[in-house]
This record gives sequence, C-alpha cells and structure tokens, in this order.
Amino acid sequence: MSLFGIALRSLRQRMATSLLTAFSLALGVALVVATLVTGGVVRQAFDSGSGLGYNMIVGAKGSPLQLVLNTVYYISRPIENIPFARYEDFLPAASRADGIDGTYAQFVATAVPICMGDYFRGFRVIGTNSAAFGKLKSGNVDPYRFSQGRNFTDEAFFEGVLGASVAASIGLKIGDTFSPTHGADDGAKHDPFTVVGILERTGSPIDRGAFVNMEGFYLQEGHAKPIDGHPTPASQSSEHNKDDGTRPLALPKEQREVTAVLLRTASAPGQPAELTAIGLRTLLNEGLDVQSALPIAEISQLLGLFVRPIELLLLLVTTMVVIVSAVGMLVSMIGSMMERKRDVAIMRALGARRSHVMIVVFLEAVLLAVGGGAVGWILGHVLVGAAGPWITSYAGVSASALSAAPGAELLLVPMLVLLAIAAGLVPALLAYRTDVSKWLQSSG
Amino acid sequence: MVLGVLELEQVKKSYPESPGRRLEVLDIEHFSLACGEQIALEGRSGSGKSTLLHVLSGITSPDSGRVILDGIELGKLSEAHRDRVRADKLGMVFQSFNLLPGFTALENVLVAMSFGSGKADRRRAIDLLSAVGLEHRLSHRPAALSMGEQQRVAVARAIANRPRVVLADEPTASVDPSNQRTVVELLKKTCRDHGSALLIVTHSPEVASQFEVRVRIEDFNRVFARSMAASIATNIE
Repeated sequence: MSLFGIALRSLRQRMATSLLTAFSLALGVALVVATLVTGGVVRQAFDSGSGLGYNMIVGAKGSPLQLVLNTVYYISRPIENIPFARYEDFLPAASRADGIDGTYAQFVATAVPICMGDYFRGFRVIGTNSAAFGKLKSGNVDPYRFSQGRNFTDEAFFEGVLGASVAASIGLKIGDTFSPTHGADDGAKHDPFTVVGILERTGSPIDRGAFVNMEGFYLQEGHAKPIDGHPTPASQSSEHNKDDGTRPLALPKEQREVTAVLLRTASAPGQPAELTAIGLRTLLNEGLDVQSALPIAEISQLLGLFVRPIELLLLLVTTMVVIVSAVGMLVSMIGSMMERKRDVAIMRALGARRSHVMIVVFLEAVLLAVGGGAVGWILGHVLVGAAGPWITSYAGVSASALSAAPGAELLLVPMLVLLAIAAGLVPALLAYRTDVSKWLQSSG
Repeated sequence: MVLGVLELEQVKKSYPESPGRRLEVLDIEHFSLACGEQIALEGRSGSGKSTLLHVLSGITSPDSGRVILDGIELGKLSEAHRDRVRADKLGMVFQSFNLLPGFTALENVLVAMSFGSGKADRRRAIDLLSAVGLEHRLSHRPAALSMGEQQRVAVARAIANRPRVVLADEPTASVDPSNQRTVVELLKKTCRDHGSALLIVTHSPEVASQFEVRVRIEDFNRVFARSMAASIATNIE
C-alpha cells in the first residue's frame, strides 16, 4: 500500500472532519475565484474599450466618465442630447446639405452619430448610421464582420443590426423584426425594425447592442425635439408618411438630436491623431454646449482609481478568507493529529520511518487543499455563472460560468500547494516527533 | 558461541524522574532468544516488561549495551535503518491489538507489508488472514470485528513480512479468559508455521503456563534485585 493510499484512508477514517475542512477551504477558494473571474471579466471588458475604432466622444456637458460609460459600455444613463448641428460640425462638405465643411471637419477622419434611449429586452438600442460598421474598425484594425447578413443601409430606415450577444440571447435571425421600447423595457413600444445583419463576436460592448438606422429611430414617438410649426412625432409615423411610397419622410434636422458623436480624429501631416485629438478636445471643451472625452484616458482613470483598488481590496478580503480557512485546516489537522498519535505510533512500531508518517500527513494536507481547492474552483465559476445576469445588468459586462481569469486562476495551484505545506507543516512535525514508546504504552 | 536471533548484552535503560534524578528501569546483563524459540516472559506491572520490548524492537534505544537482532546491532544503525530492520525482521502484537481503525482487516496487513523491503502482496495478505480464519472478514474495519477477530488480524499482521521474531505484549489482556488460550495457541502455531521466534510478555501465570520456556523478568533484570535489596535494608533499619 502506497503512502498516498495510507493518507487517503486516514482521511476516510475522519470523513466528516475531512469533508468539513475541505468544504471550508472550498468556500474560501470559491470566493477568490469568483472575485478573480469577475474582476478579470470587468477589466477585460474595460480593456476592450481600447480598441473602439474611435478616439474621442463628443456629448452634452457633464461628467466625461458618464459620457464614456454610457456611449462605450452602454451603462449609466445618457447625460443629455446635443443638437444635430453639433454632429454636422464634424462632417466634410460632401456629407452636408450646404456643401460647406463643418467647423471641425478638418480635424476629423470619421464621425458617427449615436442616439440612445430605447431598449429591447434589456439590451440597449442604439440609433446610428451605416458608418458605425462601415467606416469604424473593430479593435482599430479590422472592419466589422457579420456572421450573418450585412450592414444596414442609410436609405432603409427600418433596418437593424444585432450584436452577437443580443442575437444569441434573444434568438433573432435575419429577416426577423424587433420593436424597441421607449426609455425602459416596459416603455411604449416603437415600430418594428428588421434584422438584416448579425455582427461577429468582438468581445467588446458592441456585442451587447442592437443597432438601428437612426432615421427610423428619429421617427419613433418621443424621439423628435418638439418645435413649433413642425408635426408631432406621433403623426410622423413610418406607416403613414411615405414620400415615394417606399419609405417615410425623414425627420427635419431642426427636430433632430444626437446623444453623442464618435470621432476618429484625422492625423495632421507629421502629427499623430492623438495630438489632433488633444487640440480638438481643448477647442470643444472651451465651448458651452458640448464636451469631448477621450475614452481611453477616462477608462484608464476609471480602472486606476476605482476598478483596480476595489479588485485589490476584494482580493485581499477573499485571500484573508482563504487564510482563515487554511488556519481552520491547520487547527483541524493538529486536532486530529493529537487523536492520531496512537495510529502514528502503531505505524512506526510496524516499521514506518519518521519520514513516512511525515509524508502521509503532508499528503493528507495536500489532498484536503487540492480537493477543497478543486471544489472551490468549480463553485467559484458556478457563482459567477449564477451572478452573471446581475453582473451584466449592473456592470454591463457579460459573465458566465465559463468566464475565466486564466493567469490569476493558474496562480491558485501553487498557492494551494503552499497553503497545504503551511497547514501540514505543524501536524507533520507532530507526527515526526511522536514518541512511539509513550503512545504504545499509553494505549496498552 | 551460537548467537540467538535476538540478543541483549549489558543493556541499561532509565528515564528522567525529576531534575537530576533518573529512574532505572532495565539493567540486564544478558538475554537471548534462539531461532524459532518460544518464550513467555512473566513480570508484574511496572517490572519493565514493556520497556524491554521497546528496547528489543529498537523503538527505544538503551542508555548503554547492545541489542542484536538477527546478527545486526541495532545501536549502530541510523534510526531510518533501524525502522527498516524492524519492519523486515520483527513482528509485533500489542496488548490492545492496535489495529489502525480507518483500515480494513486486509489493509491493516497490507500497511505492515508496505513498510517492509518486499512489496505489499495482496494475495499473501489474504492467505495470512485466511490462515487465522478471517477470510470472510477481509473488508471489515476493526470496529466491526470482535475482540477475538481483531487479535487474529493483529497476529496475521505481525507475520506479514516473514519476521525472524514476533514480540507480543500482553496479547491476551483484552480477550476474555475463555479465549486467552486460543489466542496464545494461534500465536504459537502461526510463529511455528512461519519459522519465527516468539517472545510473549505477560503478567498472567495461566498464559505463561502455555509455554515450555518461562522466564521471570525479575530474575534477570538487576534493577529489580537492587530495589528488593534496598527494600530489605530499609526494613532492617
């Protein structure tokens, strides 16, 4: 019989204590794993913001962080809308009705409008134009790819494109329609949009968005800015006002607003785009009606100021829990060692060396730590899976039982072995130093 | 001179009693157990029987003197080597059987085998347990066995590594009187069958009477003689 077999049977002999000890460790490990995975998922989600395809966001005055969180991650609420004319300020002459370059057009390579405020079964509905997936690049590098269908066209007002998570979650396919609701999931139901494309998974917040043609978006009830002399949005229904029999009339520009504008700044000759962005940002922020935010700077600040310290704090607390569990394991093993001195004495009398009994006790500690750790690891992932919907709704990131923080989780293995060595050391020494003669006499 | 399989020469053993004072327990000029010999060592409680067994088995080292087991002087060996020699050449039966409670009857025998030089032979372990009439109780743990059955497991375990000597410390103490004779006979027969010498330590004259060779520890432990002399001197004064 191997020493491993002896250790296993010793644990079996103290089944209830062994299970409770392993379980207490499992709970600690589960908390650490859940914290690591959730932290990793959140960090990964925020890090994915570094490859947005744009480097500046323009929106209403207020908190730049709120502007970034809402526009990039679809969390928090929009600050306010800005006039459509502010969006046009970034457009080149060719894209404007008046044929004149916008005020800031020379600084901008691409400008994409974003309109928010609608929902579809818990997901954000974003009104935009085809440039969102036609001109902006996924991760700054590749064009957006569609797993099914195509991008919507600016001419077809009631077409929409779904992010990968939305399509997978709701089960919509090409040709299906979906009706956004106004302001919240239980808000007024808008006209239906037809799904013409499903984006490939990007690992970014884009996966969690339902994108519709903003021309159709504008025509929905409550989306037009009320102005005297203009028809109300309700009477501007897509079903009733068709200029050529195939599509409704577009909302007049005076009644339009955008929530934000995504900008990819142009590179001035010999200068990086970032430098242009800084100059443009200063210029815009000096004005009274809009602000500009650099998403990467805001995200870095958010991570540095809040996410990482909180993650570190949580990790510290959960590590303390594991240490407390390990101390529990140590106490339990020392307690059992006192009870088992007679067994150790018997084994020694049968010819077991001191090193044998020491190894057996160490193996028991390792078995408890690894067993408890493995159960805790699974439990941690189950916890993340169970809390997934909550994490998604509150933090705006997708988390499931299969989410992982590979680097940090791999560190758990040597940590658990160290823990086992630490917890097994004292009991192993007690076993090593057992006075065989004394314990055999006292048992006789 | 023919050496016995187990020899004691000029062995002394004492334990610290109080600061600066030691309690002498053993002072034996010579003791020998021949190959295949079966001896009952009688002694009353506190006469140093258990200490003697622990010294003989190498569990306890004597303060001075030599213990020679199968030609190997235990005092010259490292502790680890001594443990290995004990596993290979000595079988032990304890007063309360001292089976490992978390292990089945079969596993108790296999554990003893695993500490020896040979491999843990499951077939042989089953044969040994069958030889003591426990073929139907192999997978039972000690708590599920009667006292008699536990003692039989202890006997099978003692000879698991084909020892040269079996040392038994009050092996009948936990057995009811009607079964004492059976246990002793089983021990004697098993040792005889496997060619092992047997030294049984007992305080019971009935148990000792089952052996042809009976020795009283007081007869060769000089500590006892000295204490007797001191006691007499005190009485005279």
